[in-house]
Amino acid sequence: MSEITAKPFDMNDIFNTLNLGVCVVNANGKVLLWNDWIAKHSHIKEADALNRPLDQVFPEPVSPAFLSALKNTLTYRLPVVLSTALHRTPLPLYNVFGTDQQPDRMYQSITITPIQSQLDESCCLIQVTDSSTSIKREKMLRSHSEILKKEATTDGLTDICNRRFFDAHYEMTVADAKRQKHPLSIFMVDIDFFKSYNDYYGHIAGDDVIKQVAAALKSQLSRATDIVARYGGEEFVLVMPHLPQEIACQFAEKLRSAVFNLAIPHIKSQPLKQVTISVGACTGIPENDDNLLNKADTALYQAKLKGRNQCISLPLCETEEYLEQ
Amino acid sequence: MNNLSALHLDALGEVFSIGAGRAALSLSEIVGDEVSISVPSVQVINSKDINSATLSLNDGRFGAVTQHFSGPFNAEAVLLFTEDQALKIVRDMMGSQMSLEELAEFEHEAMCELGNIILNACLSAMADIFSFTLESSLPSYTVASADEILYRLKKNSNQPYVMVLHIDLAIENRHTTGNLVFLLSSASLTELVTHVDQFLGKIS
Repeated sequence: MSEITAKPFDMNDIFNTLNLGVCVVNANGKVLLWNDWIAKHSHIKEADALNRPLDQVFPEPVSPAFLSALKNTLTYRLPVVLSTALHRTPLPLYNVFGTDQQPDRMYQSITITPIQSQLDESCCLIQVTDSSTSIKREKMLRSHSEILKKEATTDGLTDICNRRFFDAHYEMTVADAKRQKHPLSIFMVDIDFFKSYNDYYGHIAGDDVIKQVAAALKSQLSRATDIVARYGGEEFVLVMPHLPQEIACQFAEKLRSAVFNLAIPHIKSQPLKQVTISVGACTGIPENDDNLLNKADTALYQAKLKGRNQCISLPLCETEEYLEQ
Repeated sequence: MNNLSALHLDALGEVFSIGAGRAALSLSEIVGDEVSISVPSVQVINSKDINSATLSLNDGRFGAVTQHFSGPFNAEAVLLFTEDQALKIVRDMMGSQMSLEELAEFEHEAMCELGNIILNACLSAMADIFSFTLESSLPSYTVASADEILYRLKKNSNQPYVMVLHIDLAIENRHTTGNLVFLLSSASLTELVTHVDQFLGKIS
């Protein structure tokens, strides 16, 4: 005692200034100490709490988990923690800014530790901290990081996946197909005579065409495993696992007709006078250094040479003669 | 030297099964669903013989809840789960109570609480059965690799013994396994054996 009083501070002042709830109960569960923080957040004055059983001090019930934790500490003298995640609000404590109509119950982290009183009585020290602000902060950081994550992988103009996402996704799906020995299809798509569209109609109209084509391509996808990404300016790429070669050919044709059916006028595109796409596809089970993407690009080049507005589909493993046909 | 007989280990197994039962009861009150914990084996080994196989440690990262306790004997108790499993347990436990599944800070705190419940239940079972009182520090939670954990378990030459409890925890029929490790000094191990002997003397 003398040691405490010899200090230049009053310990009571310190307890009452702490930015956490401090409460001591004795072996019978009666309150021996009740600091200002806990008085402020419970709306119960120290005088109304002292010497009363803790569970009867509050007008509302205290959580059963808190009571059994307290009982355990009093019985076994072992410290207990009650986490916010598992208990949320064990004690009826409120945030200062809640209104009377809408009292805002505080998220709490609680520790209960055994202590001896100077009369050698077994007591418990209960410390309560407010976790509301850290919960709010974590929620905010999480939602920000989700937005940033989405922005980092989405193409700003078309809202489909961007090149960065495609590169990572392509590498992963190829590795997956290699390992599991299942077929993978890559479709390279290019808007025909896009440069002359831009020159004639202007860049704003050009951007609008890119958006419409992206949406048309996206509308053809129905499986969660499939993606469409903007590969470059007016180029797109689709990645689809588990398609047999024949179905992949039909799908390439579906892509072509989806864009054709948009019927966007393009008078510089002869002879159809509307916006069309060329599609190069490649399907196969990737092994070793086979490059699906290169082969799809070769197929796209062939589709362009053959007069555009068409699809060329190549299997991954085929002889040179097939390519030259 | 290791002077524990099969009988001693059986007795300790019984004590920790009682502790596990108490822990399961507390956990099911929190989860609001059935929780069961069993301790299929107890072994005491020299800490220099401990390796990743003893603790079934693999490459991943581990969550460790530590409490230091003292009384008739002193020990450092470490509860180990793989980090993945630790996160799964905590998410199972949080269930619909709170939509904070991915908030790391709260997961750590919840893991601390989970470890605290299991450790306290084991300590209180020992206290009841061997009729003594133990004091304990608050739990702390750390995430570490298998190597870091083994280093920590072996570094203190004052604690040459480890008592390893394999733990099987099931929440809503989902099974997880972990280890509870007690690091003991020679004197503490002798003290523990004495208490087990007294207990065995009483019941035989």
